Amino acid sequence: MPMDEKTKTLQEDFEKNFADLELVIGWETGFDRLHATPVFIRQPSELGKLVWNPLCSQNLSGYLAKNLDASIQEDGKKIGICVKGCDSRSLVALIQENFIDRKRLYIVGIPCEGTVDLRRLMRLNPSLKNVRKVDIEGNKAVVETDQETLRFPIEDVLARKCLRCLYPNPVIYDTIIGTPVKPRISEDKAYTAVEKLDSSDRKQRLAFWKTEFDRCIRCYACRNACPLCVCQDNCIAESRKPKWLTQRDGIREKFLFHMIHGLHLAGRCTECGECERVCPVEIPTMLIKEKMNQIVKDMLDYEAGIDPEAKPPLLTFDPGETGI
Amino acid sequence: MISETGTQREKEIKIIGFLCNWCSYGGADTAGVCRFKQPTDLRIIRIPCTGRMDPLFVVKALIYGADGVLVSGCHPKDCHYAVGNLYARRRMELLKRFLPFIGIDTNRFRYTWVSASEGQLWQQVVTEFSEEIHRLGPNAGLNEKMDAETALSLFNTK
Ligand code: SF4
Ligand code: SF4
Ligand code: SF4
Repeated sequence: MPMDEKTKTLQEDFEKNFADLELVIGWETGFDRLHATPVFIRQPSELGKLVWNPLCSQNLSGYLAKNLDASIQEDGKKIGICVKGCDSRSLVALIQENFIDRKRLYIVGIPCEGTVDLRRLMRLNPSLKNVRKVDIEGNKAVVETDQETLRFPIEDVLARKCLRCLYPNPVIYDTIIGTPVKPRISEDKAYTAVEKLDSSDRKQRLAFWKTEFDRCIRCYACRNACPLCVCQDNCIAESRKPKWLTQRDGIREKFLFHMIHGLHLAGRCTECGECERVCPVEIPTMLIKEKMNQIVKDMLDYEAGIDPEAKPPLLTFDPGETGI
Repeated sequence: MISETGTQREKEIKIIGFLCNWCSYGGADTAGVCRFKQPTDLRIIRIPCTGRMDPLFVVKALIYGADGVLVSGCHPKDCHYAVGNLYARRRMELLKRFLPFIGIDTNRFRYTWVSASEGQLWQQVVTEFSEEIHRLGPNAGLNEKMDAETALSLFNTK
């Protein structure tokens, strides 16, 4: 289904179901057509704002636990939310941990062909302007401007997470828009970035991370954007009691902050890539969690955000476990 | 430690031991009471249960320059609180496998199970681990000198 048609179906579906909803969370066109931004709709007349295209990169599920209280089903209406494949896994993870109630949600799932990483696109084409539309056709990202139509190989412009995505189709939904799409990679390719780094020498890896983390300005955007970083005001990166980090600006503090985020996401990270997308200095923060997920898969045969009934493996144990 | 010549100071090896109150702390005590000879590098921190072990304790200690970290608790299925060490086991194993990825030598971290009556086992565990750490030498932590270029070229998302 072409993008415009999907957008239309999306709007129509919410119109049809709006009587049961108090709020719809989706994406709208941002300050120009090269940007999409989250939108919160409470009036049916505003549903026309909703869009779906490869610029809809934000994972909206985080709002449910952090900004709204979707943990209890009140005798009223539901919250409608749009999710891509990866976003739907975050929803599942939040349901597993009782941060949100499945019954409170009306989930519209959108099979996804990938989202565009604007930084990569702009690096390829610094003078890009007057964009009208961005779409994905097979292996090309098609960018229409007022003057011309440009085509880029998807390997050059999609977000890194999308090029290694195994779950482009929502794993949980009430309605699905369009037909399922095929993952672009096979399962054994999911951790190639991790494996590549693993193949270097330990000291080189330390040097790599030191160089990456050195740029970190500890703005905590990666944490704030993460749908599963649910502590927020009580985050141990900022609390004084316990005091894990000081205000010092040094590599040790930065390093430790990333270990905090990494270890708190162990067995929970759904690989939505938000942490990496929002980082102003482009630190590949998701890579740390990818490693964690690879270990969890090897060791405990678990993948986060797939089965709403499953228990995240580090929140439980198995007395009979051997080999660890 | 003063070296033979007495002129140079060698960095003193420091190993942090997180021991659970009910088993391994008791085990270390038994070893002491029995006057088993033990290395002196270990600084013990008593924790109520290995279930209290936050993997970040280990990471922080190693980043901030401890030379080794040893975690020890009751044998699985023998936890004073029934299951604390079963949670810990998963966390510690995960950490053990994770440390190399961020460039920390995983040999500097060990977890083990020693009960209160196993003074001899305690002596053995702590002696072996201490020898291992002496073999590895002082931990430069994040100050380790090396060249990032090769690793940076391995991973390019831009
Ligand atoms: S990770 Fe998968 S589901 Fe998520 S935006 Fe990329 S392709 Fe779509
Ligand atoms: S750690 Fe990053 S990739 Fe994982 S759930 Fe959080 S934002 Fe998404
Ligand atoms: S978003 Fe980037 S700069 Fe900000 S705290 Fe996270 S890693 Fe550091």
